[in-house]
Amino acid sequence: MTPFLQAIGIDKTYPGGVHANQGIDLSVARSTVHAVVGENGAGKSTLMKILFGVEQPNAGEIRLEGNPIVLPSPRAAIAAGIGMVFQHFSLVPSFTVAENVVLGGEPRAGLKLDRKKASDTVRELAERFRLPVDVDVPVEQLPVGQQQRVEILKALYRDARLLILDEPTAVLAPQEVVELFAAVRSLTSQGRTILFIAHKLPEVLEISDTISVMRGGKMVGTVAAKDATEKSLARMMVGRDVALKINRAAPGIPHTHLCRISDLTVKNDHGLNAVSDVNLILRTGEIVGIAGVEGNGQSELFDAIGGLRPIASGSVELGKTDITHISVLERRAAGMANIPEDRIATGSAGGATVAENIVATELTDTRFVRHGLLDLKSIRAHAVKLIEKFSVRVQGPESAIGTLSGGNMQKVVVARELSSEPSLLLVSHPTRGVDLGATEFIWQNIAKARDAGAAVLLTSADLSEILALADRMIVLYRGRIVAAFVNSEEVTPEVLGSYMLGFAEQSAEERNAALA
Amino acid sequence: MNEIIATILSATFVAAVIRTTTPILFASLGGLLSDLVGSLNVALEGIMLIGALTAVIVSAHAPWYIGVLAGLAAGGLLGAVMALFHLRFKADIILVGFAINIIAAGGTVTVLTYATGGDKGTSINIPSKAVPALDLSFLGNIPAIGPFLREVLSGHSYLTWLAAFMVYAIWYFLYRTPEGLRFRAVGEYPPAAEAAGIAPNRLRTYGLIASGCLAGLGGAQLAMFSFVGFTRDMTAGRGFIALGAVLLGRRHPIGTMIAAVLFGFFEALSIALPGILKWMPGELIHTIPFVVTVLALMLSSRRKVTA
Repeated sequence: MTPFLQAIGIDKTYPGGVHANQGIDLSVARSTVHAVVGENGAGKSTLMKILFGVEQPNAGEIRLEGNPIVLPSPRAAIAAGIGMVFQHFSLVPSFTVAENVVLGGEPRAGLKLDRKKASDTVRELAERFRLPVDVDVPVEQLPVGQQQRVEILKALYRDARLLILDEPTAVLAPQEVVELFAAVRSLTSQGRTILFIAHKLPEVLEISDTISVMRGGKMVGTVAAKDATEKSLARMMVGRDVALKINRAAPGIPHTHLCRISDLTVKNDHGLNAVSDVNLILRTGEIVGIAGVEGNGQSELFDAIGGLRPIASGSVELGKTDITHISVLERRAAGMANIPEDRIATGSAGGATVAENIVATELTDTRFVRHGLLDLKSIRAHAVKLIEKFSVRVQGPESAIGTLSGGNMQKVVVARELSSEPSLLLVSHPTRGVDLGATEFIWQNIAKARDAGAAVLLTSADLSEILALADRMIVLYRGRIVAAFVNSEEVTPEVLGSYMLGFAEQSAEERNAALA
Repeated sequence: MNEIIATILSATFVAAVIRTTTPILFASLGGLLSDLVGSLNVALEGIMLIGALTAVIVSAHAPWYIGVLAGLAAGGLLGAVMALFHLRFKADIILVGFAINIIAAGGTVTVLTYATGGDKGTSINIPSKAVPALDLSFLGNIPAIGPFLREVLSGHSYLTWLAAFMVYAIWYFLYRTPEGLRFRAVGEYPPAAEAAGIAPNRLRTYGLIASGCLAGLGGAQLAMFSFVGFTRDMTAGRGFIALGAVLLGRRHPIGTMIAAVLFGFFEALSIALPGILKWMPGELIHTIPFVVTVLALMLSSRRKVTA
């Protein structure tokens, strides 16, 4: 039987000289879920962009149902029946679901937009493919999981027979992943084909029929999902065995109270309460993980503690210092460090060199600045030392940090923040978009900081990250702590998920017991 | 004080507000269309001025409506020039807009000098024409409110009625047609429009041309109705006030109209007040519309922050 989609000998070198795809062969059978996994920089995204017409290959051929096709633009791909849902959605926030779906191919009645027909068509599509969503609600009012459904509906409205999903689960809570997978199964049962790019191996194993692994721009192999294990896939991806296992804080070490957060309330950009009355004590040598669906106050909480957002009421004490209203610099002097959520916007200055980024938080240190002048020699030496210690892959300390891959850029940020030996470490999404090898490394370093006695406050969209690292966990829902746990085998993503989505709430006693 | 209130409540004053609002409303609607596709036209002032002069000169040699069309066409052309520089040559829209404003301020005086044979201030010796007024005096026959309606509604420029119709037409276009949906999509989130196969820059070009046409009409009304003829710098900041109306009107045609009427009200007030408050310097009174613009923008941005 002819495969639905075939890529033969795809080769792509970017103008900068990066050889992103080297003779890639890929064959996707009709009505199946085919996953493509690999580390960052393995070339998955490039391959998908070629299949969707965003990038043009230097060599190779694409065949759809056996016929060679050329895809000079996404529009050509859409016309050929290929749809793609990117990680970053392209939806107009104030438009309704129906308006977003039909945009560009609107049903009309004379001069007018036929709203009723638009709503009806989209509603029918949604029911047919098990993507329930209220079609007359503006998308800005929908949670991320439903916005993703709208993106899938957009592709289906344009009659996509092959749907490319770029890391679709990265932004979802566990229950939403279950719903997405139900929709994916209903799509394949109705003859649609899914190409699924992913990071998280358990999910890949659960949903896929076939799994292709890429590494360093090459296709390493394709296996049937039923014959693969997490371990075998990880080995194929990284090229060696990976141990994503972090030891808990050793028992018996005394944990003294370091940071006391009392009745903290923080407003979001719209002046509404993003964090309400949060009470939390952080102790030395311990990692506290914050779970929550994105947009439930994690960002605002971290910004407020980090000094990037004013605190509306309540207080934060670090050691004996009240840091509620002091500046970022003063907070750092008090022993705080911050690995922020967005390494590009807040974690680094893209045009500056690696060395400059590393020294940026140390400009009061006489090792690097003397009489108001930078000591370039010692700055360079310091940078070289950290680059080596954190095995950052970079040409030298003079390279602009913006030219580094996501994982290496994040290593620079982590290196800088940990080099100050902080007593309080804030960590947001430390391995988002970071590959497996670098993830392992970053995790180990966070654990090292903990063992050195730092109190760590961690949040991540990836629950497995929190479960792997945290000693205690809290769940934020609409800016309030609704649950708290001591990390153990019983705490699973499903347990956390029901609190994250607001289905359940612990009593105050239960919470306090876990937080005591 | 009582005298001021009596003036404001009089039919004559309401009619004056409608008159002063018309040019601002045209320019504001133009600003709205350009803002909605994401390239706010800051050259409304200059385009109005050039539209006014074009309308005056052409109408001296042709019927009044050809003069109006010439003002509109001049505006549209300037909008197209802005689109060319901003979208094709990637120049900053603010800089392009200010270039046009500066060219308009000086260029109109130069052209005026040639057209009048030496007069640098007004077009008084050019026999330019006026836009006719629409006579609705039959309204006076309606019992009770008739005379008031006649005072308020009769005798306005044809263009005033066109401006009012444009509010509806633009609203219908934006919120009822597929093209309007695409227009708004481009303005709000261009990547979404692009993903849907829409070319944002094409719509931006249309938006800038339309905004130029509307500003040109505003200029024509200014120079062809209550005051017939061109005087140097006769727009006197109305194009900038129109920008204020767009921002204050929350990017919606109805909101923009309300904001334009608000500014028209204070302009009419600044015309009526000197007769009443004789002790106050006229210059101070004439600053009222501008002070109100600044205050209104401050208040509206404050609300956005806290909302």
